[in-house]
Amino acid sequence: MSTLLTVISVNDGKIKRSSLEVLSRCNELAADNGLKSAALVIDANTSGIAEQLKAYGPDTIYTIENPIFKNHLNTPVLKALSSAVEHIQPQLVAFPSTESSKDVLGALAANKNAAALSDMSEFELTDNGVKGKRPVMASKIISSVEASGSPVIISVRSGSYDVVEKSGDASVEAIDFNFSDDELRVTLKEIISSSSDRVDLSEAEVVIAAGRGVKDEEGRNMISELASVLNAGIGASRALTEAGDYDPSLQIGQTGKVVSPQLYIGVAISGAIQHVAGMANSKVIVAINKDPDAPIFDIADYGLVGDLYKILPPFIEELKKIKNN
Amino acid sequence: MKFYVCIKQVPDVNAPLQIKDGQLIQDADRNILNAYDASAVEEALVLTEQHGGEVEVVLAGPEKAKETLRKALAMGVHKGTHIVTNGDEDFDSSAYAKILAKFFSDKEYDYISCGKQSQDTDAGLAGAMMAELLNLPYATNAVGLEYNDGTLTVKRQGDIGQEIIDVPSPGLVTCSNDMNDPRIPSLKGIMQSKRKPVDTISLDDLGADISSDEVNTKVLGFEEKPEREPGKKYEGEPDEIAREVAQLLDSEENVI
Repeated sequence: MSTLLTVISVNDGKIKRSSLEVLSRCNELAADNGLKSAALVIDANTSGIAEQLKAYGPDTIYTIENPIFKNHLNTPVLKALSSAVEHIQPQLVAFPSTESSKDVLGALAANKNAAALSDMSEFELTDNGVKGKRPVMASKIISSVEASGSPVIISVRSGSYDVVEKSGDASVEAIDFNFSDDELRVTLKEIISSSSDRVDLSEAEVVIAAGRGVKDEEGRNMISELASVLNAGIGASRALTEAGDYDPSLQIGQTGKVVSPQLYIGVAISGAIQHVAGMANSKVIVAINKDPDAPIFDIADYGLVGDLYKILPPFIEELKKIKNN
Repeated sequence: MKFYVCIKQVPDVNAPLQIKDGQLIQDADRNILNAYDASAVEEALVLTEQHGGEVEVVLAGPEKAKETLRKALAMGVHKGTHIVTNGDEDFDSSAYAKILAKFFSDKEYDYISCGKQSQDTDAGLAGAMMAELLNLPYATNAVGLEYNDGTLTVKRQGDIGQEIIDVPSPGLVTCSNDMNDPRIPSLKGIMQSKRKPVDTISLDDLGADISSDEVNTKVLGFEEKPEREPGKKYEGEPDEIAREVAQLLDSEENVI
């Protein structure tokens, strides 16, 4: 029986929600088409992840464990993926769209001479491959695409599918993997992370995004306080990450991260298409901006026109009251 | 140091667009140098200005894309190669990666670079595909490059932080537009670009004539993104509208 393989993305021993979204979709397609749904975990420690995964219903959980996977590095990850594809012979390999999967998607496709589609917002199976949709032109337009052959390799935008828990007793199978440092070619010297202790932006249920109008420490403190009240991830527009006010990994948009939270609050975000490309799938959008004609108001469910320095203090105070009740 | 930068001409995503019968129509024929590729050009120029060497650009695209090649030459690139396509082939990322890999197969270089993705399709596949086809070590999504003792040190934006990676030569790197502000060509640069060498080669000459059977992804059509239901705008006393919306997020939306 042919297999739909979801590659699980792990951060700090935790499964990324976006991987479970992809796995849930593959479970559904496998059930509809009489296929197997399998998950692949490539990590330094896989046993805990494999246990957690059982609650999400794959038929088989494949693991590739090696200390080299403590940090992302494309050479060993590619070798592991290539071995897994040879071993499992899946008809579909589906990744959540992350910076780590973007790093290897094209190389894996070229290695397997397979068709690849990245950043899909919908996908389904066809007789000889996959078809679906992906946003293009800074997410202003949706294109319908198809890929043929086996396997087809895809990545899926976060927030495209719901996570569905499904109990099962998946078997766990370890795939042999050897890697020597001689094969590395590229070397990871250091990871600079100033935001590792904060909420993971791409996974957050609530996102506060700061824009150009957040121009001083007072403003940034308000953003931090609002995020802390709502247990939110903080993101920023390109203007603020370029100015060095926020860490570059917090940039939301076409160039940066795609977020799809339950609640997005844009503070002094104007709504340039490059930013909107990264947040338009948020469930509820709140915008605070003093320019009543800011394009963000065209997509906001709740648009507050006014000065953030006057609106945020009572907004935060009221949210605290609600939280405390 | 010899740098090759792969560049692409893309439609300007900020220009008005419409969809007719599932096809994407640009009201104005506004085409530009892909912004991510422009950053790759800029960075290669900065590195060769610091450390010596030469930058060449390669573009695969139709005749009209030559203006984009000229733009890179006007920025200061030394030489260009235009691999001319008809423009009506349905080439995907893989096809372009194969064409470019064919071009590089008999070239000598220290590094190949390109944008991390195209502004129009945002696919982000071709760079890593080329690296794999050419068996080169590579890094994607670079936000900074340094060159020391013959090795490129890449600062790449990863999921949780910035990864500092050494990529030995020959290697490949794909660039984010966060690494620099590409220079605007000066009048002098534009004048000089007209005298710079451009090789024009066909897919046939290159031996990279890719048949449509080999292209295994297809674009079937385009549609408008569904519009969001317009929401409500609150104007008035900051204190009142702030409290009102906070309460609605709890009572109506249940997201607090």
